[in-house]
Parts: sequence; structure tokens; C-alpha cells
Amino acid sequence: MAVQADQAPVVGVARRKRRRSQLGLAGSIVVVGAAAAAIYLVMAPLLALLATAFRGPSDLLPFEPGAHWTFDNLVDVYVSTPLLSSVLPNTAIFVAGSVTVTFLTAFTLAWLVERTDLPWRTTLFTAILFPLLVPGVVMAFAWTLLFAPNAGWINVMLRGVLGLDSPGPINIFSMPGLILCQGIASVPFVFLLLGAAMRTMNPALEEASSASGARPLTTFLRVTLPVLRPGVLAPLILATLVALEQFEMPLIIGFPARINVFSTRIYFELNPEDELPAYGKAAAVALLFLVAAVVLLAIYNNLIKRADRFVTVTGKGYRPTRYPLGRWRAPALLFVGFYLAVGAILPAVVLVWTSFSGGSNESLNLDAYRALFADRRFWPAVGNTFLVAGLSAAVITLVGALLAWQILRLRFPGRALLDVVSFMSIGIPSVIAGFAVMVLHLTIPIGLYGTVWILILAYSYRLAVSTRLSRASLMQIHAELEEASAASGGRWLDTVRRVVLPLLAPSLMASFVLLFIVGFREFTIPMVLQSEDNWVLSVIMWKLQADRQTAQAAAVGTLILMFVTPVIFVLRRQLLSRQGDS
Amino acid sequence: MLTVRGLAKTYATADGSFQALRGIDFDVPQGGFYTLLGESGCGKSTTLRCIAGLEEPDGGSISIAGHVVADVERGTHVPTFERDIGLVFQSYAIWPHMDVFANVAYPLSVQRPRLAAADIKARVMDALRLVGMESYTTRPATKLSGGQQQRVAFARALVRRPKLLLLDEPLSNLDAKLREQMRFELQELIARTGVTTLYVTHDQSEALAMSDTVAVMAAGRIVQSGAPREVYGRPVDRTVANFLGSANILRGKVVDAHDGLAEVTLDGGASTVQVPSRAVLSPGAPVDVIFRPEDATTHLDPVDGAIECAVERIVFQGGMSECQLRLGPVLLRTVVHPVMGARPGDRAWVAIQPERCILFAA
Ligand SMILES: Nc1ncnc2c1ncn2[C@@H]1O[C@H](COP(=O)(O)OP(=O)(O)O)[C@@H](O)[C@H]1O
Ligand SMILES: [Mg+2]
Repeated sequence: MAVQADQAPVVGVARRKRRRSQLGLAGSIVVVGAAAAAIYLVMAPLLALLATAFRGPSDLLPFEPGAHWTFDNLVDVYVSTPLLSSVLPNTAIFVAGSVTVTFLTAFTLAWLVERTDLPWRTTLFTAILFPLLVPGVVMAFAWTLLFAPNAGWINVMLRGVLGLDSPGPINIFSMPGLILCQGIASVPFVFLLLGAAMRTMNPALEEASSASGARPLTTFLRVTLPVLRPGVLAPLILATLVALEQFEMPLIIGFPARINVFSTRIYFELNPEDELPAYGKAAAVALLFLVAAVVLLAIYNNLIKRADRFVTVTGKGYRPTRYPLGRWRAPALLFVGFYLAVGAILPAVVLVWTSFSGGSNESLNLDAYRALFADRRFWPAVGNTFLVAGLSAAVITLVGALLAWQILRLRFPGRALLDVVSFMSIGIPSVIAGFAVMVLHLTIPIGLYGTVWILILAYSYRLAVSTRLSRASLMQIHAELEEASAASGGRWLDTVRRVVLPLLAPSLMASFVLLFIVGFREFTIPMVLQSEDNWVLSVIMWKLQADRQTAQAAAVGTLILMFVTPVIFVLRRQLLSRQGDS
Repeated sequence: MLTVRGLAKTYATADGSFQALRGIDFDVPQGGFYTLLGESGCGKSTTLRCIAGLEEPDGGSISIAGHVVADVERGTHVPTFERDIGLVFQSYAIWPHMDVFANVAYPLSVQRPRLAAADIKARVMDALRLVGMESYTTRPATKLSGGQQQRVAFARALVRRPKLLLLDEPLSNLDAKLREQMRFELQELIARTGVTTLYVTHDQSEALAMSDTVAVMAAGRIVQSGAPREVYGRPVDRTVANFLGSANILRGKVVDAHDGLAEVTLDGGASTVQVPSRAVLSPGAPVDVIFRPEDATTHLDPVDGAIECAVERIVFQGGMSECQLRLGPVLLRTVVHPVMGARPGDRAWVAIQPERCILFAA
């Protein structure tokens, strides 16, 4: 989930740069510390993972006594088992299908909201964001309550209307079901990115086409789409990366249908029914997808650079000219309404109702909440969720900002590598991140494995979110502002504390909020690294629904919705005030 | 050629509505160069966008070359792409994904029935030659300077030989020196093609130098229109006078008025001037006497009938100097030769040419 990753690494940008020796001792410690943290959080786990893939036998940790260098894992995974004939095609179909659904939906929604006279735009904008903040597990669970072939609400209703027999007619536990669910779940962040691209496009470019005698369709095909292309392709690749790392939908919807994608495959290699975890094989599977992710990331990087070059004469108060929808108004509203019903309203209603009805349809009661609050696992999980989301967001924001600062402002060997390391974290699938941290900390036993602290470390690999945001605003802060502080006698730490940090505060805040949301939604990493002591809410909910405690699981989902809903309104205010139209 | 009648436009805004145009009427004859001049926000762009069809007016009518393109009463609104116009935007709106040739060829390539590729090529090259960009055909749009983008924008607007050329502050994004140069190039180019032109600007020197007719706009209306000399020399009110060049304003009282002349005593009793007057004024009426800096001479010795003031400062401007003079609460500006040896605090006498003065009832 790298929503704000909108800039490419800066290596090569000419700027006055200083040497590290000018920082003084305190400064050097802070800066070197941040670099070391980045290496510890991102590079070390990946190297451990790499080693694991080439060490065998598979059920041993890479440096346990008895392990040795080998290609057995790779042979096992890529030659003798049906990875290539099942997991790989499944993943490809799943990713391609869900990204297509996401894109068609998000593009239409963004275009309607940003470029047409659709009524109630502000309200709809907020509503569309709903699934952005709700954890994927919660959405997946709600959708199974709606569309499960036997007891799903919609199926029961459809059978009543159409006079059919059970089960069906809709089966969510299928590849199309999986694709549609994932496709809808990813709509909001693609919607945000596409909306931003459409908003920054100079409408005069389209008007010039119209004034040249081109009909609206010609204008759309020959001007609008090509001009938007970089702004459209970059979110397309990000969406592909996000779909590739998806774990919750494949686990909850794909597993009952016996559809394995790469993330669930790694998970089951690590958590087999009655064998030892197959670290080596899991790492071998991970390798291929890591390479795929890095390739996608390189393409993304390239596109972003090209998008920057696409800017010609920039904005003089563009006025948004909106297409009148005319008689397409009703179909447009119907489309938005359908998305909102499936993506927000029905899931919320089914969760709340199920949590109060105890899964049966007899009478409303609070039994599920009573049982939940009495469960000794619940309150620690609440604490863990906020602790891990908050602390990891703080760590990433701090380390990321310091990294961005030194990459931009200092000259030192390894600067380019550091930039690449921090940028790469966008592309690392979270299953792989969790698994890599697991291998590393099982190998170097410093007592973190199995605690909440390892979750904080594992979550903190997402440095790119913070480095990108900080860098964007550091580039606005001219180096002379810092030099003026030095010229006034300020030491490095004074400069950072009194000049840089205050100017950077808004983007640090944005980064923290974004990362908190990401951490709050996180499910994959705590699943991979779970133990009795570090359950978070999303994991508890999954366990409850897997144990058929449907009402209690729905109660957890309801509580999460109650927390998230106000946050959506705060987020909307931020987004709208930034775009300056409301 | 272009006829605009009763054009009105109201925008819906967050806090109600805003009347951007309150009834605009004007005609531009075939081959004419008509300029809308006014301060930012007075409705110039809105007028131009209504004529281009980018905004739908909610009152009035527009016809281009005898075709009614908009008529609110009859519900006519011809879409932009069916109007025979060329349009140059303030931001040029050069498409970043096309090279120079493709940008200029676009209006021809969307024409139906299709033109032959060879014809398109010939006409694009003609247009590029016209603006001096024929050697840049394959240059990507993103690699053009401001002035070059501007020329490409012109070529694109002219390539399909439109009946009407619409220009919205085309020079305002250029730096001062280039603006000056482009102004003359542009004028020559338009003269050569003979296209009827509607020009929008907030720069009075552009308006005065280029137009056949200038219309001064304020708050959604045309306040005055006419030949540049006429509007400059005979502004209908203080706002127009002030907006077009700098104007000195002196308060006074009418002593006597007859035969289109008024005798006015200036406040402070300093002197009496005889000024031509259009309005019928009765003795005793308070008036403003307005004159331009270049319509007065400044002397360091007493002159008969001149107004005595004190030199406040001399602003050296190269070929000439601006002399600022204090007369009680009023600061007068005149133009003097730079060799004039006046210093701040010196006494000076300003002689105005009464026949060049303008009188407004205060
Ligand atoms: N789309 C719009 N919505 C609301 N107000 C507008 C819109 N377009 C222009 N206006 C207002 O109408 C007035 C005239 O605008 P415009 O014609 O662009 O002025 P200018 O003379 O500077 O070109 C301005 O006050 C502007 O704020
Ligand atoms: Mg304007």
C-alpha cells in the first residue's frame, strides 16, 4: 500500500552537498543511525531471505547446524512441484483480473467525480474512500457473509425472488468471486491517484482540441488519454504491485475454493498442516515474486520520471470545466450507487446486523459483544493493534525523513544504494517482508521473535512512504534556509530542530497518518509472525471467523468500522483542502 | 463579422452566484482587430470563452460570419468544435505528447472529410513558416521555450484559416523584452493573414498599440469603446482615464460655461483654465480637470497662467524623466527632458494645454 509514492529516486540531481564531517558528532550519530536502521529494517531481512533460498534442507533455518548450501529448494519448487502449473497461472489471472476490475471502476468513478457535473460529488468522494481504511480481512469477511453460496444474504434473497434451490446462484468462492472482491477492495487508492492526475491536467489542453474542430470523442482519445497516460500508468503498476502482495482475499475467499496464489502458497509452506515449516521452499517461491516486484518497480520509477517531464506551462488557476452528463446522469448515479452498495453499504450493514443477531435471525442481542469482551485475547489485541500501528508509523516517519534529508543534502559513499533501498520497500510484498524478518530473527536470537516488538520491526520496512513524502517537501525547503541557520551560528542539531523539522511538520504528519492507517489495516505480517502474545485485531477476527464464531467476528468488524468511519471524514477534509475546492 | 448582443453570464459559486457579464454588445467588422481591455476579473476571458463556445451564456446572442452560434432565447448553442475559430490560450495549451508538427497538424487532421496527407503537410509548413518555426517540426512540445510555444500556438490557431481568431492574453506569460518583440510580430502576422481578431488583454500599451478598436471593460460591462486615440484622448470617466495611461486630476469649480467651453477655477485659487466641456455645466458646479503628463510643460521660471508647485522628485527613465510635483494634497506628474536641472524642493510652474484637458462633473 504505497499510496503516496509519487517520486522517483533523486540520485543525480545536482545540488550543493555537504560532507558528513560537517555535521558534528551528534549529527553524525543521528544520520549514521538512520542509515543503519534502514539497512537493518530492509536490507538485512532480504539478505537473510536470499540465503534461506539457497540453504537446505528446507525445514532447517539457514544457519542451523546441519544446513548447507544447495539448489534443492529451487529444484523442488520450480521443477518437481506444480508451482508453474497452478500457483503461477492463478496468481497471474488473479492479478490481471483484479487490476482490470479496479481500473475500469476507479477510472470511471474518478472521471465522474472530477470531470463531470455529477450531483453530490463531495459526499460521493467520501463514500468511495470507505474501503481504503477498512482492513481487507474485514471486507473479505463481510463479503462472504453476503455472497457465500448457501447462507449469503444476497443469495438467500435472490433464491427467494427467483425461486431457485440452494446453493447459489452466486458463488463467491471461485476465481471470478476472488477477482471481483479484490478488484473492488483496491478501488479507493487508485481512485485517489487517478483523481489527482485528472485534477492537475490543464483543461485548456482539451479546450484547444475542441477549438481546433475536434469532436468530444476525438478529444478524449487523442488528447485526454495521451496526456493522462503517465498519470494513469503509474497507478496501474502500483495497483499491480498491491494485487500481487494481496493475502487476505486469497486466504479467506480463495482458500475455500482451493485457489492458491503466491502469497498463500508461502504462508502454507510456513504453516503446513502437520509438518515442519519449509523455510527453504517458501524462500524459493518468494524469490521469483520478489524479482517480479522489483521489475515492476523499475518500470514504475521510469514512468514517474517521464511524468515529471510531461509538465509544460503550469497552472494559472485552472478552472475545472465539467462535462454536463445530461441524460447519462441516471446511469452514472446508478453505477456509483452499485459500487457503493457492494463496496461500503452492504458490508457495513451485514457486519453490524450479524454482530447483534448472533448469527441467527431471531432477536437482536449483545451476546457476541459480551463474549468478545470476556475473551482474554481481545483487549491485549486492541492494545497491540494501536501500539504496533502507532510505533511503526513513528519509526518509519522519523527514519524515513532523516534518510530523505541525507540523500538530498549530503555527499557520501553509498548514497545511491541507500536511496534504492528505501525506494525498493514499495515493491516488497508484505508476505515476503514478514517472512524475511522471521528468518532473520529466528537466526539471530535476540529475544524479539514472538513479541509485539517484532511486528513493529516488520511493519517498519515501508520506508518509502516516508522518504517520498519528506523528500517532496524537503525539495521545497531551499538549502539556503539551512545554511542561513549555520551562518547564524546554529549547530546541525539546532538547524534540524528549529528550521528543518518545523518546516517539514505537515509532511511528517501526513506520513504518520498514512502509515498509521496502513499499520492499522495490516493483516499479512501479523499472520506470518503470529504467536500467542502478539495477536492484533485483524488476526483475532480471522481466528474467530475460522472457528465459526461468526457473530463475534462480526462484532470485531463492527468495532473497527466504528473507529475508522470518523477517520474517513478527517481524511476527506485533508484531501479536499489540499485540492482547494469544496 | 462578429456580432455580440446582450451577452450575460452568471456563475454559480460556493456562496451564491456571481454575475460575470452584465450585457455586452459589440461588433467586429471583417478583418478588424478588436481588443477587450480591463483589469483582471472584469469578464474579458468569460466573453471570449462564450464566443468560443467553452462557456454557455445565459443571456444574449453571438454570431460569427453570419452564423448564429449562440442565442439564449432560441436555445441555440453551437458546440466549440463546430465554430470556425482559432484560439490561443494564455497558457498556450501545447499538447505535451505531440511534437511541433503534430500539434499544428491536429486541427487539419480532425477535419471531415479527411484532407490528403500531402495537403496537410503543405499547410502545416505554411503555418510554421508564418511564425518562423519551420525548422522545429520534430521538436517535442516539452522542449520548447515560452516564446516558441507561443508561436506554435499561433500556427495551430491559424492553420485551418479560421474566420475568427481569439486571443486570450497571449503575451502575458512572456518576459518583458520578448513581449515587446512578439507584439510586433503578432501584429504583422495578423495583418498578413487579414483574419478578424478579438484580443483580450489587461495591458493598456498592448491594447493601444495593436488595435483598430479598444473596448474598456469593468465589472462585466463595456464602459467605452472606440479607436485607441479617441479612447485615450476622450475617456468617458475617471476610471477609463486612470486605466489608460496616467492622468493628473485637479479639483475645481465652474465659473462660467458657454459654447462648449467651461471656465474653471482650480482649488487653492491658484489659477483659472478654459477647458472644452461636453456636458452642460452651471456656474458653481464642482468638477475634476484631467490632463495627461505629456500635455503639460514644466518650467523653472514663472510662466503666465501656469500652476505653481514644488518639485517632489525627478524619476530618471532614460530617454526622458518623470517630474513629480506637489500641489497641496495632489501629486502631479509631468514629462520633462532628462537634462532639466530641477532638484527636489525647487519651485516649478506647470503649464497645461487647456484644449487637451478633460472635464468631469465631480
Ligand atoms: N467557473 C467560474 N466559476 C465562478 N466564477 C468564475 C468562473 N470563471 C470566472 N469567474 C469569475 O468571473 C469573473 C470574470 O472572470 P474572467 O472573465 O476570467 O476575468 P478576466 O477579465 O480576468 O479574464 C472573475 O471575478 C472570476 O472570478
Ligand atoms: Mg482572463
